[in-house]
Amino acid sequence: MIAQWIKPRWLSYGLAILGVVAITAILIPFRQRINSTTVGFAFLLVILFIAMAWGRKPALVASVLAMLSFNFFFLPPFHTFTIADPQNWVALTAFFITAIAVGQLSARAKRRAEEAEASRIEIKRLYEDLQNAFERASEAEALKRSERLKSALLDAVTHDIRTPLTSIKASATLLLEDREATEPVEKLAPDEQTAMLRVITHGADRLDRFVEGIVDLARIEAGDLTLYRNWGVVEDIIDAALAQAEPLTRRHRIRVSVENELPVIRVDARAVAEVIYTLIDNASKYSPPDTLVSIEAKRVSDDQVEIAVEDQGPGIPVRLREKVFERLYRGHNNGAAGELIGGIGMGLAIAKGIVEAHGGHIWIEDGAQGRGARIVFTVPVGDDDLNGNVPDVVGGDKARADG
Amino acid sequence: MENRKPRILVVDDEPQLTRVLLRSLTTKGYDVRIAGDGDFALQTFQDWPAELVITDLAMPNMSGLELCRRLRAISQVPIIVLSVRGEEKTKVEALDAGADDYVTKPFGMNELLARIRAALRRKPASEADSRILVAGDFRIDLESHTATQGDHELRLTPKEFELLAHLMRNAGKVLTHHSLLGAVWGGDYTEQTEYLRVFIGQLRKKIEPDPSKPRFILTEPWIGYRFNAE
Amino acid sequence: MKPTLLNRPWIGYAAALAGIALVTGTLKLFGEHINPTTVALAFLLIILFVATAWGSRPAIVASIVGIVFFNFFFLPPFRTFAIRDPHNWIAFVAFMITAITVGQLSGRVKRRAEEAEAAKAEVERLYYELQDSFERSSQAKALKQSERLKSALLDAVTHDLRTPLTSIKASATTLLDDLYSAERNNVEPRLELEDRKEMLRVIDEESDRLDRFVEGLTRLARIDAGEMHLHLHRTQIDEIITMALKRAEPRTQTHPMEVWIEDELPSIKVDEQAIAEVIYTLVDNAAKYSPAGSPIRIRARPGDNHFLLLSVEDHGPGLRPEVRDRVFEKFFRAMRDGDAGDRRTSGTGMGLAIARGIVEAHHGRIWIEDADEGRGAKFVVSLPISSDEDGKRQAA
Repeated sequence: MIAQWIKPRWLSYGLAILGVVAITAILIPFRQRINSTTVGFAFLLVILFIAMAWGRKPALVASVLAMLSFNFFFLPPFHTFTIADPQNWVALTAFFITAIAVGQLSARAKRRAEEAEASRIEIKRLYEDLQNAFERASEAEALKRSERLKSALLDAVTHDIRTPLTSIKASATLLLEDREATEPVEKLAPDEQTAMLRVITHGADRLDRFVEGIVDLARIEAGDLTLYRNWGVVEDIIDAALAQAEPLTRRHRIRVSVENELPVIRVDARAVAEVIYTLIDNASKYSPPDTLVSIEAKRVSDDQVEIAVEDQGPGIPVRLREKVFERLYRGHNNGAAGELIGGIGMGLAIAKGIVEAHGGHIWIEDGAQGRGARIVFTVPVGDDDLNGNVPDVVGGDKARADG
Repeated sequence: MENRKPRILVVDDEPQLTRVLLRSLTTKGYDVRIAGDGDFALQTFQDWPAELVITDLAMPNMSGLELCRRLRAISQVPIIVLSVRGEEKTKVEALDAGADDYVTKPFGMNELLARIRAALRRKPASEADSRILVAGDFRIDLESHTATQGDHELRLTPKEFELLAHLMRNAGKVLTHHSLLGAVWGGDYTEQTEYLRVFIGQLRKKIEPDPSKPRFILTEPWIGYRFNAE
Repeated sequence: MKPTLLNRPWIGYAAALAGIALVTGTLKLFGEHINPTTVALAFLLIILFVATAWGSRPAIVASIVGIVFFNFFFLPPFRTFAIRDPHNWIAFVAFMITAITVGQLSGRVKRRAEEAEAAKAEVERLYYELQDSFERSSQAKALKQSERLKSALLDAVTHDLRTPLTSIKASATTLLDDLYSAERNNVEPRLELEDRKEMLRVIDEESDRLDRFVEGLTRLARIDAGEMHLHLHRTQIDEIITMALKRAEPRTQTHPMEVWIEDELPSIKVDEQAIAEVIYTLVDNAAKYSPAGSPIRIRARPGDNHFLLLSVEDHGPGLRPEVRDRVFEKFFRAMRDGDAGDRRTSGTGMGLAIARGIVEAHHGRIWIEDADEGRGAKFVVSLPISSDEDGKRQAA
């Protein structure tokens, strides 16, 4: 019955009329045997069908026709239109009401069905639109985030590269000129040459460390570190840091004490190794040879592990213990702090950034027996995701907002 | 005794660097050829079998990793890869694909020279099946299942023994966690790096004069370990 | 919304009974000679009403009750379940059929209407769910995508910074090593003079390269921050083109340059160095991405509305429409290659971003079109010709 929805209107009227005519034709031969009641019912049924199939209007048309036919062909005297008989009115009323009521109902059903179908198609189209829109939005979002990264990167790079570069260039050109010089008097002595070459080499090393640093800084500033978190074993991380720091620690004694049964931590392992490396670098730079640099790790609460690097050098005065973590861009913060902080550059600032990006803290204490410096930081034991970011899982509503 | 100069094939797309390497290595007594990309490197290698290949990892067209694979398919020549710090994953892949060692850019020439010497000293694979392994002061007799360091006998558990033997067989070569675990514990354990660390730690306690500053079993951070016999 | 009264089925059943009873009572008042047809039709109306209001089940009840009452009260002999007149039998059966059919069909129509409603509501709900899940997944996707972009970017930048450093360090350590061993063994250094000079030259050149890269980054940073300081002078475009081509000389050796400058071009008020750099970048770009020997055409002509049009055209592979906007993004080259998973071209790609920054700081525009004939790309720059009142247009 639903299939009738698509037929053109004139066809529905035609078919309605046809229906009535057909019934009339079928029943005429029997009109002596059956009484008018039965005929009435038959017409009613036809009207009902018409209303269901084609709606109210064709059914109304059929009703009128049915009534006329009923009167003319089936109500005695046959073949006359006697309007007087109240039965006609009852019949007509009944037909009309049926036509209207059922027509309405079916029209409504039909409309609803069409709407649902239209909705479905609409939804499908909207779905695709939605998909595209979100593709574009996520691209836009990605671009926006990478814009932030780019800016952070540029910001960092433009500052501290130039100094070592200048030295490199100056030394190189000097040496080149020297090579070109023919007067033996003007030539550089071998140890002068060596000195210049060392400038170049150290300059290159500094630049290299700098590049390492800016990349980390840029990632921290763009809120990036949270993306690479994974289960890390503390011993592995300390091991890696020590291996990297090997050239720096040749003249110191090293002691590693890791608590038994330390839980795995939920961190960006390379980043945390870098923090430890920075602290070891710091410790060996500022303590005399043959002294001890010790690295400890222990669990301090349900959800935190504490890692500390301690040296036996002069220590860090209390008033500087916040400042050392500040990033030094243009070498402002000098004075008494200068000589101590000078070589640290960005290392501690980055370390702080990394630790805090993991939701931890970093601070400075006195070393054992009040001697030396002890730099401590905490990292999360991850069972739950402390900062709400789970890589590779669609959990967008928990994702950390930028920065 | 060979008195021919050892042949080194250097593959890198950076002309400045290859200029330096060519002159520097030649002065040190090596016979050096340069290839600007992987295809040319393979061509050169066909007619000029080098004793060592040094290749950059990040190159356009054929990557260093790909070159390693292709070289390994036709030769056991020692391969040193040059890579930028932070590319651990690629380094591990290269090592697993057959590279022997890696040097991180930027490097000092002395560092590269040391790795070159180590790579050229490495014994060819055919000797790997012998019953006696010697590396520096270390000696392992696979038949009697004994291991000595200098003149003092090492008391090792079975796994420690196997680990040390494998390290010695590959002395000087960087072994990834994956390959070490696979070689000593078998295929099902290749992801258990903690396990490996524990055993390495135990072995270090037995053979290192100062376990906190290992001399023999060196950690290659994020990549694996290397046995240094000298 | 339907009132809840209609949603209680027991009311339907009650209404069915009540309706039939009521009609029976009413019609009985008209005496015993009421035409059965009338009664039947009245009953049928009740059944219809019950069906449309409460569905087919109450309608069945109405039908059955109607049939029963019809027989009992309105078909002679009255008050019995017998039917004497065979016409009435037929009528009775017809009524039965009709009653049940009407009830069922109307009920079904009602049900269909309800189902369609429910389907519509369902579809709407699905849509909102989809929207929701899309939001969530696109966030995750954005994260993933930006992760990829960032890796590519960082890789490219560090590569560009580290490559010169590698050469510098290798050279310097070679020289140092040589000097040290000479010192230790009390001999002359082994490196040939020529080799030593070469090493130093490498250091020199690579430091320059590093410097240029940093310079580029600095410029970009300034553009980013809107801090470009332009020195504007009134000048002719052909002078600037000459400047740019001079700097691009190595490229002119591999690609023939055709320069077409229309007569009587108005002068423009620009920062000559900056615009020369833009032209240089475009020429360099054109040379890099087109085969050696293919010509590069530089044209300058007036455009509409007080603009000067400058174009640099090559015969390389051209640029797909999708990327034409994006090539001007800083580090685009890096990110695009990062997408492909490997580095096809070295370098991070700042030239075009800087060029755009400069052009836009002059209130101009830069875009890409297809080459005029054959394959290739045409980069077009439009620069405003200052109005006669000098000083009206000030670039930032």
